[in-house]
Amino acid sequence: MNNQRLVILLLLIAYIFSPTLFTWIVNPEGAWYRPYIMWVLVIGIAYAVQARKKPS
Amino acid sequence: MTFELTHVALIGLGYLLLIFGIATITERDWLPRSITEHPVTYILSLGIFASAWAFYGVIDLAFQFGYGALAYYLGTGALFLFAPVALGPITELARRHQVHSLADLLVFRYHSHGIGALTSLCMLLGILPLMALQIQAIADTMHILTVSRDPAIPLVGTGLTFKDLMALTYCGILALFTVLFGSNRERHRGLITAMAFESLLKVFALCAIGLLAVYGVFDGFSGLDEWLERNPENLALLHSPIRDGASHTLLLVFVATAVTMPHIFHMGVAENPILRNTRTVTWAFPLFLLFLALPIFPILWAGFELSVPLPAQYFTLGVPILAESPSLTILAFIGGLSASTGAMVVITLALSTMVMNHWLLPFLRLRRRQDIYSQLVWLRRIVIAALFLGGYLFYWMLDNRQSLFHLALVAFIETLQFVPGIFAIVFWTRGNRRGVIAGLTVGTLVWFIGLLIPMLTGLEHINVPFGDGSLSVGISHWSEITVISLGLNTLIFIGVSLLTRQTEEEAYSAELCAADELSHPVRQALDVHSAAEFKTRLAKPLGKVTASREVDLALRQLGLGISERRPYALRRLRDQLEANLSGLMGIHVAGEIMDNHLPYKLAEARDTVDINLIENRLSQYRSHLTGLSAELNNLRLYHRKTLQELPMAVCSLGRDKEILMWNRAMAKLTGIEADDVLGSHLDDLVQPWCDLLVNFSGGDDAHLYRHEITLNKRPHWISLHKAAIKGPANHRRGSTIGQDDQVILLEDVTETQLLEQELIHSERLASVGRLAAGVAHEIGNPITGIACLCQNLRYESDNPEVLETAEQILSQTDRVTRIVQSLVSYSHSGHNKKSAFEAVRLRECAQEAIALLSLQKDKNPVTFSNDIAENAIVAGDQQQMIQVFINLLSNARDASDPEGRVMLESFEDEDNITLTVTDEGEGIDPDYLDQILEPFFTTKDPGEGTGLGLAMVYSIVDDHGGTLDIISPANPSTERGAQIVIKLPRHLDSVLSHIATDAPEKAD
Repeated sequence: MNNQRLVILLLLIAYIFSPTLFTWIVNPEGAWYRPYIMWVLVIGIAYAVQARKKPS
Repeated sequence: MTFELTHVALIGLGYLLLIFGIATITERDWLPRSITEHPVTYILSLGIFASAWAFYGVIDLAFQFGYGALAYYLGTGALFLFAPVALGPITELARRHQVHSLADLLVFRYHSHGIGALTSLCMLLGILPLMALQIQAIADTMHILTVSRDPAIPLVGTGLTFKDLMALTYCGILALFTVLFGSNRERHRGLITAMAFESLLKVFALCAIGLLAVYGVFDGFSGLDEWLERNPENLALLHSPIRDGASHTLLLVFVATAVTMPHIFHMGVAENPILRNTRTVTWAFPLFLLFLALPIFPILWAGFELSVPLPAQYFTLGVPILAESPSLTILAFIGGLSASTGAMVVITLALSTMVMNHWLLPFLRLRRRQDIYSQLVWLRRIVIAALFLGGYLFYWMLDNRQSLFHLALVAFIETLQFVPGIFAIVFWTRGNRRGVIAGLTVGTLVWFIGLLIPMLTGLEHINVPFGDGSLSVGISHWSEITVISLGLNTLIFIGVSLLTRQTEEEAYSAELCAADELSHPVRQALDVHSAAEFKTRLAKPLGKVTASREVDLALRQLGLGISERRPYALRRLRDQLEANLSGLMGIHVAGEIMDNHLPYKLAEARDTVDINLIENRLSQYRSHLTGLSAELNNLRLYHRKTLQELPMAVCSLGRDKEILMWNRAMAKLTGIEADDVLGSHLDDLVQPWCDLLVNFSGGDDAHLYRHEITLNKRPHWISLHKAAIKGPANHRRGSTIGQDDQVILLEDVTETQLLEQELIHSERLASVGRLAAGVAHEIGNPITGIACLCQNLRYESDNPEVLETAEQILSQTDRVTRIVQSLVSYSHSGHNKKSAFEAVRLRECAQEAIALLSLQKDKNPVTFSNDIAENAIVAGDQQQMIQVFINLLSNARDASDPEGRVMLESFEDEDNITLTVTDEGEGIDPDYLDQILEPFFTTKDPGEGTGLGLAMVYSIVDDHGGTLDIISPANPSTERGAQIVIKLPRHLDSVLSHIATDAPEKAD
């Protein structure tokens, strides 16, 4: 029912490509707290996703 | 700035007492449940994840790896962000099988007790550095606050110092707390609330110091920006280290910690319902981590700015000291104390569970079986105390040589070794125990030689027979060692798993654990036949009292009764018991008790799929199903409903004759509700269904037509049909005929059978009628001849003897003629055309019949009372109606006692006239009631009646479109008398004219 091997694969790919993403996020040109802003964004998205789900 | 030792000790003690207090008032329900059971409380309690390492050590990590330090939070945060996918399956498994530790989970999945022992060993080795870290952090911070005039940490290698004694005291108090609040069996609500408070305090302290750093040291964010511009090397420090591969490895290490770390597993999976109940954790926990991570860099920079004379790992404490803020210093100290307290308590709880379940209980035989619970509690207390002591000794052996970062890293890298095994629990069913044992052993060995031994001994190189002869080890090579150990571990795990075979039990558990866990749970047979038998079986290993308590508890949880006998329910009871006992003494011991005392029979029916269990689970998980599986489930429900509502009785049987389905029509036909029989054995059905179904399902015939059974003392006829279910689940092994599941269809053909019997009966009657008519015709002619000759004889002789004989012959021929006429009129009845009917006054017909019968003086003298209403007029044939009355009244007269009464009455309604003829005789024997209307049936003496009277009455009434009922006894109080009730349609025209003229008038 929830065999999510593909999701795991996606996570693996995300892990492999994360240095690139990471480098972009922590780009010295930006403010030092840029990673935190990204973090807040992710939390916001997670909240929105969770709030939209009907309570089971 | 220094503090008095007593002050610091009092503050620390006060804090611990506060934590004690919170735990106590929660356990005693003095805190409202809306607080203690609020999701926020649960989420905060997960914050024990951030131990002293996250409070102090992370600053050092930030110093060394810049943004790489965030990996610690981001890794764990990401895991919780994807909790429904990443942690959900494991949490679900833990809940269902009462798995309380990682070792239990691995034992459950790989079905090997060796894995449990090995896991406990590796975990213990891996976690000792983490425990030492907490103790070291506390000892150091107390030392910084009290002993040294300048904040500095003491020299290395000074033996048992005062600081070490403080650490020992701290460990003692903490052990006491853990023993008091963590060693009982119930869900530790007090512990959870205390840990939530601890997390709250920790995050508050860290944020407060962060704010002090920004506003107290740098004059706000603009000041900080200016400072960063002036000192660009600090910004560069953020970026440069992450460019090498180490931070990548760091991320890997930290992602894994959320599952593999025993305390996080314990809090997140075993104790805490948050992951199961709500998705709030997916965003709330990362948010909590964000608050923990925000102050890291400002604190680091403030430490630089203030030139704190401490290693970076204690900047959290050093900054408020140098900023000369006593209150914040105390807050920082309490925050750190709180962080290490929480981690220590939960780590020892988790480890004690592992050690108990996998090391002690399998080898210890509990002495007195009567009080197994208190023995377990005491054992656990001893283990907890021993673990604290072990952690302290390890700390003391290390003697402050290692930084917090290094200690944490060593611990994390070892727990990382569990990742392949855990990953395979949910995502790879081929993985087997040999693979796990080999992989874990090799990975741990690499870690042990590469990191742990160098940490203890200061070893830097080991000699190897290949390469350039020596290999660098030690903490400075942590990144390589991580990759090598984990890589080897994974490769060996996969290789060995692919090369070796799983045992059958392991394959079963693997499928249970895998993501597609519903594929085919196998239905195994138990040799226990009642719930009560469980108690007697378990009394041997557990003692009578405990066995009884455990069985009762499991029955209550399942909502079953002690009289339960259904195999399906008993299997569930066994599973529940095993799960409960696992919670009590670990999967290893519980499994052993179950296998020894309540074993599954390895019967030929082993591979039978447990349909009931699948259905049960599917209905539980319905809300979890999405996409295709949800559609399939809907389809399944539709088909199921179709079968359920099928207007034919259907049941299906497993190979071992267990009832798997019982539809609504079946329940109606048999009067047995589906809930009462589902999952039970066919033999347990009530009669007559048991014999019927057992014989039929075991027989060779696929159809059985019109089998007669008796239900409610009445005969019923059932046709049975069966077919084998050759499902995909059954062709794993070549199944032979009779070994398949069966579907049986029952058809109640009683109605058809009765109709058919009636048809045959009337057909027989009709042929009797035709025969009678033919016979009558054939006999009539010679009889007429005999009568004529006899008449002649009377005139031709004067001999009185001859005349007498002639008279006799005449009277006998008269009798024959009468019989023949009755036969003819019976066989001719039914030939009347309704169009020829005229209005017939029943009263007049009855009166005429009475007059005729009165002429027979030799018969039983009775009184006829004719109370038929004047206006009882029916449409019919008057002569036939008179015949009806003659037959009925003569029967009534014959049945009556001398001087009896025969009553004639009539009632009317809008459409019908009901007339009754009631006598006061013996009544009719109930056995004869069914036959009394048949021709040639008579209860009179031979020669007295022809048996055609009532048959003719019935035939005539039927021709007139009426009905005839017989009530016997007519008088229930005396149990005597018979009543014939005839209902005939009214003559409508006469009704109308009667109304019009209000006078009796002969109708047309």
